[in-house]
This record gives sequence, C-alpha cells and structure tokens, in this order.
Amino acid sequence: MNTPKRAAFFRAEGVLVSRGVLAATAYYAANAHKFGERALRLGLVALSAPLQGLLGQNDRTLANRLAFLAARRMSEDRLAELGEEYAEDILKDKILDRGVELIKRARAEGHRIVLLSDNISEVIEPLLPHLPKIDDLVCNRLEIVDGEATGKLLDPVVGSHGDGRWAQGYAERQGLDLQACTAYGSHGTDLLLLAAVGKPCAVNPDFTLRRSAREADWPVIEYQE
Amino acid sequence: MRLSIRESYAGRHVLLTGASGFLGKVWLTQMLQNDSGVGKFYILLRRKATRPAAARFERIVNTSPAFKPLHEKYGRDLARFLSERIVVVDGDISQPGLGLDAETSARLGRDLDLVVNCAGLVDFDPDLRDALTTNVDGTIHVADFVEGCEKAALLHISTCYVAGTRNGRNGEVLVPDYAPNGEPFDAAAELASARVRIAEIEAEFETQEKADEIAAEAKAQLVQRGRSPDNAKLVATLCRRIKRDTLKNAMIEEGQERAQKWGWTNIYTYSKSLAESVLAPRVGKFKFSLLRPAIVESALAYPFPGWNQGFNTCGPLSYMLGGWLRELPLRKGNPFDIVPVDYVGNAMTIGGAALLHGGHELVYQCGTSDKNPLTIDRACDLTALAHRKHLRRKGDTVVDRLILARWDGVEAEIDHTLSVTNLRKVTKGVVKVMRDLPNRWPKMVHRGAKKVADKVDKIDDNLDTIERLIDLYLPFIYENHFIFSTDNLLKYDVVEEPFRFDPTALNWRTYWINVHIPGLRKWCYPLFEGRTPEQYRPRHKFVLEDEAPAETPAAAPAHGGSR
Repeated sequence: MNTPKRAAFFRAEGVLVSRGVLAATAYYAANAHKFGERALRLGLVALSAPLQGLLGQNDRTLANRLAFLAARRMSEDRLAELGEEYAEDILKDKILDRGVELIKRARAEGHRIVLLSDNISEVIEPLLPHLPKIDDLVCNRLEIVDGEATGKLLDPVVGSHGDGRWAQGYAERQGLDLQACTAYGSHGTDLLLLAAVGKPCAVNPDFTLRRSAREADWPVIEYQE
Repeated sequence: MRLSIRESYAGRHVLLTGASGFLGKVWLTQMLQNDSGVGKFYILLRRKATRPAAARFERIVNTSPAFKPLHEKYGRDLARFLSERIVVVDGDISQPGLGLDAETSARLGRDLDLVVNCAGLVDFDPDLRDALTTNVDGTIHVADFVEGCEKAALLHISTCYVAGTRNGRNGEVLVPDYAPNGEPFDAAAELASARVRIAEIEAEFETQEKADEIAAEAKAQLVQRGRSPDNAKLVATLCRRIKRDTLKNAMIEEGQERAQKWGWTNIYTYSKSLAESVLAPRVGKFKFSLLRPAIVESALAYPFPGWNQGFNTCGPLSYMLGGWLRELPLRKGNPFDIVPVDYVGNAMTIGGAALLHGGHELVYQCGTSDKNPLTIDRACDLTALAHRKHLRRKGDTVVDRLILARWDGVEAEIDHTLSVTNLRKVTKGVVKVMRDLPNRWPKMVHRGAKKVADKVDKIDDNLDTIERLIDLYLPFIYENHFIFSTDNLLKYDVVEEPFRFDPTALNWRTYWINVHIPGLRKWCYPLFEGRTPEQYRPRHKFVLEDEAPAETPAAAPAHGGSR
C-alpha cells in the first residue's frame, strides 16, 4: 500500500483536547506518594502556572520544563498509572468533537495523521484508543533514571518553535510534499509549524496566533467542548 | 545447554510429594497441561482421618482452582485423562519408608525415575516439632527412599532463605553444616540437641507442678468468663486446651531461639537449612538437586493470572498497606525477591529434566533479585497504586473511594513517629486514662469512657497483630539485603516455550497492579477477614477411575501424552 504523500499535523492541546499541560501536572502533584510531596509539588505547579500563561504565547519550552518539574523523583510506575488514570478519567471527557471530525476529514482526504502534544507520553498515549487512528505521535518524554523521573524533559521539547523544523525534517523522511500538508495549531508556538505547511489553520487561537493568522490570512476555526 | 523437556520426561515415572500444596498443585497441573511427556505421576498423599489418599486427591481436583485449566481442556474426559497418568499412593513422608506398604515400595523402587519432594511446612514460625518432622525428618525419609530406588533421582524443594540473615549475593552452593552466622556448626548435633530439648519441654508439661499451674489457669479463666470453676468436665477440657497451646508456644519459642542463635530468620528457614545439611553427605550416593525458590507468589499466567493460595508473605503486608496503616518499616533499595508460582513450576520442570537428561546442578535458585530486581520501596509504591486502582472504582464506601484510595502506604524507618509501636503507646495510654477516671465523675461519663476504652482496646488488639506480623517480616523487608543468583537455571536453553524460566521477562508494574494484588484480593484477603474465598466447582465432577495396570518403564511409550 502506498504511503499518503500528504500529512495533517494536529496540535493536541487546544485542537483535540481542551486541557493543557498544567492540568496534567497538577493531577500528578495532587496524587504523589506522600502527603508532604503532594503539597510541595502542587506549590510548584501553582508557581509555574503564571509562567505558562506568560511564556505560552510564544515558546512554551521553558513553561513545559517548569511544569514537569512537579514530576521530579516520581516513580516511573506512578507516572504511568496516574497518566493512564488521568487520560481515562479526565482527559477522555475533554476530547473536542470538532477536532475529532477534523482528523476524520483529513484521513478521508488521504492525509497521514500526525499528533503533536506538549504532554508527556504517559498521559497522551493512553488517550490514543479514544481518538481516530493516529499514524505518528510526537510528545514530550521525561528523563527516567533508576526508575524515577529526574523532572527533566528530554530534548527536543515539544511545544517550542522547533516543532516547525521538526515538521520539515519529518516531511523529508516520509517523502511528503509540505505544500500539500495541513496543520492545525492553537498557540503562538505553532506559528512556525503552520507556516511550514501549505494549508495552515488556526483552531481556538490564543492572542499571538490569532493576530498572526489574521495577518497571514489563514483560516480560523473556533469551537468549544 | 540445550534441554528438551518433553524428550527428558518421555515415558519417565515421577513421584510427587506435597501435591496438596500451592506449589505442588501448580507444578503437577502445569506438567499435565503442557504435555510434558511424563509416563506416570505417582502422587504421595497422606490419609486424613477417614479420608483415604485417593479421595483426598479427588477432592483437590474438584475444588482447587489450580485444576481449572485441566477441567476446561478435558471436561468429562478429565477422569480418564488423569486416571491414565496418575496413581495416588497412600503414604506419609514423616514415616520411615514414606509409610508405604512393602509391595508399593518395591514397585516404586523399580519404576521411579524422579522423586520431586515438594512437601514442607511453610509457616514462618510453626511448632518446632512439626517443623522438624515435616521439613527435616520428611527430607531424610525421602532421601532414604530415593537411595533405595534402582535409578531414581531427587529434586528437593528448599528455599533461598536458608541463607539466613546473610546480606549480599548468595551463590548456588550447598555448604555442608552451614550456619549463617559463620560459627562452627554440626547439623546432626543440632538436630539431636533440638530433639533432646523437645523431649525435655514435653516432660516439663507432664509434671504435677505444671498440671497444677494449668488447672489454676483454667479455673481463673472460667471465673473470668462467669462460669463455675467447680465443673470438673469443663476444667478438664480447658486444661487440655491450655496445655496444648502453651506447649506449642514453648516449642515455637524454643525454635525461634535456636534459629536466631545460628542466624536464621525463622523456624522455617532453620528447618529447611537443616534438611539441606542432612542431604549434603549424600552427594555422590544418588543424583539429586536442590531447588531453592525465593518468595513464591501469585501466578503470572498459569493456571490463570493471579492464582494464589492461603497465607503468604505478600498477603498480610499488602493487606495492611490497603488499610489506614501508612508507615511500614521498609528499607529503601532492599530487594524483595518475589517469584510467581508458575515461574517456580517451570524451574522445577527444568531441574527435574536436567536430572533425567544429565548435566544437572546440585543447587538451583529461583528468584528475581539477581536478574530483574524489585525493591521493597517499589513494591510498596506499586501496592499503593494497585489499592488505589481498586478502591477508586470498587471501594465499599465514599470514604474508601475518595480518601482511602489516596491514603498511600509509605516506607518508613523502624523508629518512625507513627510506627505501630508508638501508636500502641497512644492506644494503651488512652485506655488507661479512660479506665482510671476519678470516681467522683458522673456515671454517664464513666459509661462513655468505658465504651471508648473498649473500642480503643480493640484497635490496640489489631495493632498488636500488626506489630507481631511486622516483626515476623522484618528480616525480609527491612533488616537484610538479599540477592540470590539464578545462573544455574538460566544456563539451560529450554526447547519448549511453555517450560522456559526467564525472570527478565517479568514486567513488575503489570504483574503487581493487574495480576498479583487483584489475585491476593480474591484468594487471600478473604482469609484474613474470616471469609471463604470464591469456591471452584467444575462442570464435570472428577472421580478417579480404577488404576490401570502398572507399566514398567521399558514398556511405556515415548510420550505419556500419546497414550
């Protein structure tokens, strides 16, 4: 079977699910092993929240790194179990129907479906069975040493301007024609990703992306839960 | 080394002791289910009261979930299938000659190729007499019997923890007259000395002085219960019970002292190590191997995921962590050598095949601490996650679902502020205060205080049980750092996939959360709560058919499964 020569890139947060990284890290923090840890980690998430808001308009690398510091020294087992729990109990209900429709439409048009997520694999992978078939998932990964997370996100951090460069490399490896590709983004960080493809689309855009989309005359789609 | 299980066992005759135990049943059914090729299994079972061995075996097959896969595979044909392959033998390993009649003994002596001694008392601190009778005398009798056989080899099931309180890596070696504390030790002398002491303690309980002491205790108990101390029949009954219990406690105490003196963790490991020492001088007289499993726990896959039986090491510990107790003394980083029962079954199969095929080792250790270690703190975290998963969805009350599910048990130092010992100080203090209220206070307050005192007293009783349990398990969860090498089992390249032993393939998270703790919840926790675990009732009741004429090994076909 021939591989489709076109791909549709979807940013998970804002396009497919209405919850971002902070909700996941807060869930991890609130369910750490020891009571004392829970309080400390929640404090850390609370501190990173305003930074996420401030920095998230442009490059979320630092914001994501800070948010996932809350998972520092958490066991790999706990990360996986809580991730699964969070995806099943919370994130699944936050899937945006219109986003799902966009995936289905892209698939029907013969696009290869690529999902980019700021969340870590432990959270986003258990969500995949609840989404239409995804061909490739690109998400953040926590560094694990001796069965515990160090709190460091492995490079390249997804959710940065590097996502646009990554899409170009991906297109080369897969033999895709980027001009025929589509991308759906929702944050200022997605600007380079959207600019890299022939058919960009801003979904529920934040301030930065909305302004850029207007200037570049990109289509803007708005929908809610 | 290449090892084909089916080729090794083809048409061979195997005697199994301890078939009513957790491990024995799983191994037997595994061998039958996977067409091991064994010609005939002789199952040595002890007659119990009026129930002969054959009837006991039928009951086991008809009630034990371990036989479920066989029932499902053969249905109505199971009776024929088992009757063709199994001969139940009335015997008792605590008796010389295994309690067999002369004819059976002679026939088995000619026919047997392998004896698997799985019988043993696995309680940590049993009556010393029972431990020595089953674990030491039983081994001596089995070894004597095998030595008298024409060609039989012996696979003796021991335990990794014969190593005692010895930290670090424990190799697969049999050290004659081994004592963990490294002091000069003579197993035969120790055994003789233990027996002398047992006789002395028993004699102490036959003296008039002791009888008077027991009678006084019985009468005091009757008075306390509001019964008449002049009822001779009642006093006599109570005296018998008190004598039995105190004698047992004295034997347990004696056993614990002996075990601790030489550096063993408990009476079980002490007696198992003595059994190994009595086997050691027989090296060269007949072929034998020792298989030492670590902590045998729920099945990963066979007979079905999660199958477990009775009280075990993980059961009480994980049960405690599932409740309101939070701090358990656990030493971070210590290996917790758990091995699923079906892994041990495969290790037994491999050990037996090596004895039959040639190229066997004297000692095999079967654990996970060497190749795929699980640390005690990780086990604690996984237990908390497993309880959380269950309680969030299936907790009985809102409190269970919302609070207890998130009340994770954590590892703590032994002298932690909230240790059970400290909690008991609080409960005792509360009881004392409630019971010693000034007399001038109103009666209503006294009544209320009495109620509180009674409730706290009950809590204290539970904490007492927990404290004693923790003491029992401390050597395994806190005090020692055990690693048991398993190189000998892994040197075999087993041809048949279902019989392989690969500790590295075990995914601890999946096993612990989805298999082991749910298995304990189903099969073991009900026992702690005084409930009966789910009963198994096969669709077609198994009745052992008349024994087929005994076959000589020469006449047996290549594969038992093809008969």
